[in-house]
Amino acid sequence: MGSTITEKILARAGGLEIARAGENAPFRPDYMIAYDFPGYTDVMFKQMADDFGISKVDDPQRYVLFIDHMTTRGGEREETIHKVTRDWGRTNGVEVHEGKGIGHQVAAELGYALPGKFLVHFDGHISGLGAFGALGWGVRKDLLEAWVTGAVYLDVPASSRFQLEGRFGPGVDNRDLIHHIIAEIGADGCAHQVMEYAGPGAEAMTIDRRQGLCAMAMFTGAVSAIFNPDELSLAYANRVARAEFEPLYSDPDAEYVAKYTIDLDALSPQVVLPGSAKSSNTHPVEDLVGTPIQHAYIGSCASGRIEEIRAAAGILKGKKVAHGVRLNVVPTSERIYQQAEDEGLLTILAEAGAHVAKSSCDFCVGYASPLQPGDKCISTGVLNISGRMGSTDAEIYMGSAYTVAASALAGKIADPREVVEL
Amino acid sequence: MSNTERRDVAVPAVLKGRVAWIFGDDFDIDLVIGVKNIKSYDPVHLKSVCMTAYDTDFIRDVRPGDIIVGGRNFGYGHPHYPAMIALRNAGITAVIAESFAPGYWRGEIYQGMPLVTVRGIADAVSRWDDIEVDWRAARVTLPATGKVLEGNPLSAHAIDVIEAGGGFNLLLKEHGPQARSRRDTSFSTNA
Repeated sequence: MGSTITEKILARAGGLEIARAGENAPFRPDYMIAYDFPGYTDVMFKQMADDFGISKVDDPQRYVLFIDHMTTRGGEREETIHKVTRDWGRTNGVEVHEGKGIGHQVAAELGYALPGKFLVHFDGHISGLGAFGALGWGVRKDLLEAWVTGAVYLDVPASSRFQLEGRFGPGVDNRDLIHHIIAEIGADGCAHQVMEYAGPGAEAMTIDRRQGLCAMAMFTGAVSAIFNPDELSLAYANRVARAEFEPLYSDPDAEYVAKYTIDLDALSPQVVLPGSAKSSNTHPVEDLVGTPIQHAYIGSCASGRIEEIRAAAGILKGKKVAHGVRLNVVPTSERIYQQAEDEGLLTILAEAGAHVAKSSCDFCVGYASPLQPGDKCISTGVLNISGRMGSTDAEIYMGSAYTVAASALAGKIADPREVVEL
Repeated sequence: MSNTERRDVAVPAVLKGRVAWIFGDDFDIDLVIGVKNIKSYDPVHLKSVCMTAYDTDFIRDVRPGDIIVGGRNFGYGHPHYPAMIALRNAGITAVIAESFAPGYWRGEIYQGMPLVTVRGIADAVSRWDDIEVDWRAARVTLPATGKVLEGNPLSAHAIDVIEAGGGFNLLLKEHGPQARSRRDTSFSTNA
């Protein structure tokens, strides 16, 4: 019996000949990542020093810190939080990446997300790095275990394989695909597993789409998602690599819990009702067309890529965001912001009345531009629980960047296929 | 993360209590305290809102040692720690469910809460039934009927974590300064 790419990555990280699903063992991540956040990193820094006597970490190149939350208000509180992080990084020789954008995606630009690498974070959206044939796993508080011991105990996950056929049609993207999958297999359809994407539809999918797709894995109960490396991801990795890497691939006779085949051509835009991404909340856009909105958001660690900025600009070019709607567009990294500017997209969006902001996590968590009571928002953010983007009396719908842009234009939830540039 | 608990009392081999509540499938644990309160770490406040959406007398009626039962995918969503802190403070000592959502699972094992996966549990019990849980073996006994349900045993590491009173305590025991000095003494030639 062969191994999945996930089993191979973990075998290597665990120093094992073979890692089989279900086995529990300690695994050494290549990179152990965190963003600074009060109550998380500041506590970990203190625990490392005070409880474990680690005043300087042994292999600082494996530790990675991002400053991407709480970056938009300025002021003393933000400065205090970030100073603690910068100081710890300096003392330990650990790189702190600040002002570059949302870490879950910037980690790719900075060459951490290399094929075959194993990366952990306390936050589960690190799974987006699976786009590159790397395994990104959100281990919550066990990040401390990794930081202290260099390894973390994990159950080797089984995998489900998603064979993708065809291509996304106009106005449809990875966001519609993940919500379609959740609707089909349920919110625990891949519980404790890794989602492995394969097939011609996966190979034809751009890196942007792959990242967005993998970043949402947790909503099927999966611990991560991954693509096998291919020409596209290897070319990207070779361009940005900060370390040597050796790609790994699933064996043809690897074992899967389930195999699904999905025809991308047959997908339609999906909209998720406020509350959570579970199956019963997921609807074809047609069911919700006409629902008034006051707020729209394109960005987050699972969105805000250049293709989504292009999609929004394509729909809004020469037009105006509906009166009474605030549309925030937040490119996910500084580099993407720059690229969008160079391509003239930011000008198009600004002329359409959108608010374009520098990359930050703050819009997705309601720290910047929070929703007011009674607001209805449509968002490419990762969560739509009550209170996520501001008031607990506001409602958040989720959809693709196409759907968000089309809805911002109409002032109500709209089918992007009717306005998308062909 | 700021409220890491340090518990010194060992978890009994067999937990004996009552079924304090039975939740449905895909249960979002934040609802135990309500989304308005998910960032509160104030025990008094958490107590005042704990389970009030389901049963206003819950805090009055629950006893130390009681357990809660869940359906499939218990802990689904974006679980925050205060909900379980509120239940733990109320006396809840374990959660038995048909299955657990991974994020919740990892977060609460770290907190040292025995989580036991037992298929069929949600239909096998009624509220306030007496229940006995051998959490290491994932074996549930219902004394009233003598019925025994077998679930999926925890990994050896997860048992170590729960026995230690949580991930932090285990880490401290195995890698804290005392553990290090013990190692330094035993292997002084390596220094």
